[in-house]
Parts: sequence; structure tokens; C-alpha cells
Amino acid sequence: MREFVFFGGKGGVGKTTVSSAYALKCARAGVDTLVVSTDPAHSTSDVFDQQFSDDPSPVEGVDDLHAMEIDPEEEVERHLMETRRAMGDQVSPAMVNEIDRQIEMAHQTPGAYESALFDRFIGVMRENDYERVVFDTSPTGGTLRLLSLPDLLEGWIDRLMHKRKQSVKLFERAAIGNNEPRRMMEGDPIIARLQERKELFEFAGDALRNRATFYLVVNPDELSIRETSRAVENLLDAGLSVEGLAVNKLTPEPDPDEQGRGARFLRDRVETERERLDTLRTEFDQPLVAEIETRVAEVKGNLLADVADELSIDVAADPAA
Amino acid sequence: MTLAERIDAFLAWAEQWARGLYHGMVAHPAYEKIEKEAEDIEDTFMLACFPDAFGIPSPVSYYTAELLPYLEDEFEAWERRMWDRGSLLERKGQQYHF
Repeated sequence: MREFVFFGGKGGVGKTTVSSAYALKCARAGVDTLVVSTDPAHSTSDVFDQQFSDDPSPVEGVDDLHAMEIDPEEEVERHLMETRRAMGDQVSPAMVNEIDRQIEMAHQTPGAYESALFDRFIGVMRENDYERVVFDTSPTGGTLRLLSLPDLLEGWIDRLMHKRKQSVKLFERAAIGNNEPRRMMEGDPIIARLQERKELFEFAGDALRNRATFYLVVNPDELSIRETSRAVENLLDAGLSVEGLAVNKLTPEPDPDEQGRGARFLRDRVETERERLDTLRTEFDQPLVAEIETRVAEVKGNLLADVADELSIDVAADPAA
Repeated sequence: MTLAERIDAFLAWAEQWARGLYHGMVAHPAYEKIEKEAEDIEDTFMLACFPDAFGIPSPVSYYTAELLPYLEDEFEAWERRMWDRGSLLERKGQQYHF
């Protein structure tokens, strides 16, 4: 099992339950584990009945288990403040307003939220001192976009850096005699920053491709299965490895002697779900790693431990990783 | 002033003129051209960094925003150039001295 484990899937399929259960399973096996919620609608706190913050904090009652909830809004704010502070040190008062407006605008663009989330993602992976980090991701679309970012951004930053170098080189050539060139390659803060970013993206791309595993949580219904098949395709396209599917919210079968209306309903439902399970087994290359029945109560506390037992996902650390 | 001194003075004057003429007619325009080309590339760079200044959302402007504090001069010059540039043709035309 690799160092980083991601759980994804359509909204409402129970990603949080499955990922929390898996984290619990790891922790109980003695693997030092961190569970990270990246869904802005955090529910890890509800599962463990404990409020988590942006910093990892230990989960009460479970050894070796920590949890954190990434708050992209806070990260955008932090990034904005940091950039502003740098501006205060650098920029002359005459230009401050102009540049401030531009900075403000950049933090309002539709991508800002995702970029902030991505930054935190990379941050968690970089400063990781846990044996296992379990990511409970936001619903499929957002996460997939997020995970395809490194390639895209790397290319972009490359092009920016190329342009910058080109113009600086020309400025250096244009400097007449002993005149100081307008820009210099040596110690150019822009090139240095772009390079820093590029390295971060490279790290992220490498970590996601070589040190991470993905599981998709799926419900036994048509929509969820279709979305999962698209998700698997996208993940594989991005060069990421999908190890298995965890089926959640299966209907429990009634006892054979029960004949009431409820029992008939359940029996029919179980029948359709069995077909869906067959579809999942035959149409996907990935194995089913869990078949979890719907619980009557919210899954937390002891129930979570039960769910953890139903997961047949390996917990032992991969020696090769 | 002796003749020799007068000749020396004339030569110095001529040399200064020759250097000035060369600089003004050959060297300077060439440097200017290179500098303008550099500015053009810089404009492309700025546009690629901050397309949202023109209302085009960019996935990287969140990242490039952190460059802004270091791009003060560039930013100002960029804005100025954006304002008074009539057309690309005009700009390119400026780079040729007839």
C-alpha cells in the first residue's frame, strides 16, 4: 500500500465514511495515520464527533490517528495577506493601489479556490511525517480537475519562465556600454519564484503518480456507476492508479420467513443491487474492495469500526514505496 | 597655440563627432530595437500572467499574483504601453529607423 490514499466518488456516496473507516483500520493496525478532509463541506468532524481544524490534531480514543480539515478559504486569505505583505516591502506607495487591485482580483478568480486547495494538498504531502495519509476528497468533478492540475500548471509555468528569460536576455543585450541593464538574469526574483513553483508542481505530479493510490466509492445505482466509470477513465488518463472500488449503501436482505411489504421491498431492492454489483464486477477492471451495507444509524463510533472490518483494503505499508 | 596642438584638438573633436555619429546612427537605434523587442516579449509575459486584467479568467493568476510585488516597474510600464499603443503595426514601425 502506498503512502497516500485517496477516496473519491460522486457526492453523497459516503466517501467520508469509507475513508474514515479506512483510516481507523490503518491506525488500529498500528500504522501512524492522518486523515485529511478536502471537501469544503467537512463531515469528518461529524464522523468522529470531534471538531477538527486546519492543523492535524489527534482523534480522541484512537491511537495513531490524526485528522485535519483543509479550509481553502482560509488559505486564499493567507495567500492574499502574504502577497500584500511582500508588496508593502517592495512597491512604492504610488503603485500600491494599482497593484493591490490586481492582486485582489487574482484572488477572486474562479480558480483561486482550487489553487488554494491544491497548495494545501501539496503542503500536506510535502511535510508529511505520517506513514499513511488518507485523503477524503470532494466530489468527483472538483477533485479530478485538481489532480490533473500539475501537468497543466507545469507546462504553463515553463512557458512563462521561457518568456521571462527571453526578455531579460534581450534587456541585458540592449544595455549600452557601462549602462546597467534594465533587468538582469542574475538574481531575478521572478525567475526564482517561477522556478520554485515549478518544482512544487513537479513534486505534486510525481507524488500523485508514484506514491498515491486511488479508490472510488460507489453506490449500487445507475448514476453512481456511470459517474464512477467516467472517473476511472479520467484518473487513468491522468496517469494515476485506481486500485479498487468500494461499494457503499447496499440494502440488507430480510430474513427468509418475513413476508410483509417491507420485506418484499427489500428483497426486490437486493435483487436489483445484485445485478448492479454484477455490472460492477464485469465492467470494471478494478476489484471490489468493500461491500458495505446501509446502517440504520449514522456511521460513527462503534459502527465505524464495523465498517472498517468490512474493508478489504490492505493497510500494511508498501516496502517499495 | 602651435600647429601641432591645433591638429590634436581637431582630431579629438573629429573623433568625438565620429563616435557620436556612429552611436546615434548605428549603435543606439540597434540597442533601442533590441530593447523594444524585449519590451514586447515582456508584454506577452505580463499578459500571460495577468489575463484577468482584461477580464479573462486564468487558472494560474492565483499563482502569478505572488509575482506582482516584484513586477512593479514592469507592471507600470506595461499598463502605459497598453494605453498608448495604437496598433501592433505602429509599434513595430517604431522599431525601424529610416
